[in-house]
Amino acid sequence: MEDRQITVLLEQAEVQRRLGNHRGATELAQRALALDPDHAHGHATLALILLDARRLPGAGIEARAALALDGNDPYVHRVAAAVLAAERKLDDAWQHCLVALEEPDAGPAAHVLGAHICALRGDRLHARELLHDALALDANHTEALTDLARLALRDGEHGEAARLVERALETDPGDRDAHVVAGHVALARGDTAAAEQHARFVLGQDATSHGGLHLWAAVQARRSVVLGLWWRFNTWMSQRDDNRRVALLVGAFVVAQIAIIVTDELGFDTATRVLTLLWLGFCAYTWFAPALFRRMVAAALGTVRLDPSF
Amino acid sequence: MTYQIADEPVETSLRAYVVRPNVPLLAMMMCGAWLAWPWFAFNAVAMGSPTRRKEIALCVAAVFGTGVLGALVIALDGVGLLPEGIPLRLALLAIVAFKMSFAYYLSTVQSRTFHVYEYYGGPVRPAGRLIMAGSFMTGLVIGLSDHPLWHIIVSGRLW
Repeated sequence: MEDRQITVLLEQAEVQRRLGNHRGATELAQRALALDPDHAHGHATLALILLDARRLPGAGIEARAALALDGNDPYVHRVAAAVLAAERKLDDAWQHCLVALEEPDAGPAAHVLGAHICALRGDRLHARELLHDALALDANHTEALTDLARLALRDGEHGEAARLVERALETDPGDRDAHVVAGHVALARGDTAAAEQHARFVLGQDATSHGGLHLWAAVQARRSVVLGLWWRFNTWMSQRDDNRRVALLVGAFVVAQIAIIVTDELGFDTATRVLTLLWLGFCAYTWFAPALFRRMVAAALGTVRLDPSF
Repeated sequence: MTYQIADEPVETSLRAYVVRPNVPLLAMMMCGAWLAWPWFAFNAVAMGSPTRRKEIALCVAAVFGTGVLGALVIALDGVGLLPEGIPLRLALLAIVAFKMSFAYYLSTVQSRTFHVYEYYGGPVRPAGRLIMAGSFMTGLVIGLSDHPLWHIIVSGRLW
């Protein structure tokens, strides 16, 4: 009886996760785990929900708990691979993904995950191969089509990206991720209005969608050069892990200060003043630009009409 | 009955005093370490952060590390190995960089819990006035002792 209850709760949690209701999904998974704290599948499901909610530390703990409880479940390995990929532990992620891929009934989802890890490792050729494998298993797999479009976009193949994402949207016109990629394709082709339409659609479905907000912010950044610069800097920084980010910020500070000290000691007063002002300007810009940017995006979001089902 | 996720903050009676983790970081830049380290530690406790022990340990390590580096610089200066000018200023810059690294790292660690705290509707206090007050008090705090080591430990401004 309890097993059945846990299964139902986890299925409901998965449905809520897919709908983007992370809070509801988390609560359902927590209720399932309260009934059986040693349920590996439950921990893996919770890890996936937390990963979607961008709660990486929690996702990591849950994925490791699931692995410790059942190291033979391919689903657990798939979730562990997804979490490790998000933690940028790409070699470990690939090892877990291989376990999931080696299963005789490995579905397209495992291939898509493998492609994602390969793309993060910079092996876009292998990523494309895996996505084609996924499409061989299911020719209309929306996620595979979308990820192929994303790779094509990254490689500058805008036409191919547009064709693939169109196919994904024909298969599932409501797929939010496909709309996000379609928006970025439109943005790359200079069609800001079309990109905004896609962002509006995604945010209308789920106002908390990270991809939708990212696309929306990219559209706003395209319209303002000053904030666009910050957006690019921020996007570039966010691709680094926490330690690398700290090192970069402190490194920038040290380089600027060394330049100021040296010019000052050598008597180049004007250069010292210019460097000091530049440094202060950079500090003020990186401090105030995010706040301005958030305010601008929030104001623009006020014009989005939410879907009644949200 | 529910299952507690390891990254969730626990309820505390100090929730009304929680600030964004970048506020103590700003305090480090605008006021100095005398305000930033205690504020980071207090914020971790007030938020009920699951990593509060690590965060407090980092604050203690930062104070201790600054003290050791400061003592080293003073000793080298005393025996004439660090001449006035560029060498001494670069040595002092290394100490500031050490403090900034800890402050950025602490802010990053605390942000992880803060996102979850905010996600569950935890209250957040604005802190502009406190920073302003701290900035005015900095001279007073630094003036509590004439010893250069004290100055090195409690200061931390970026300019």
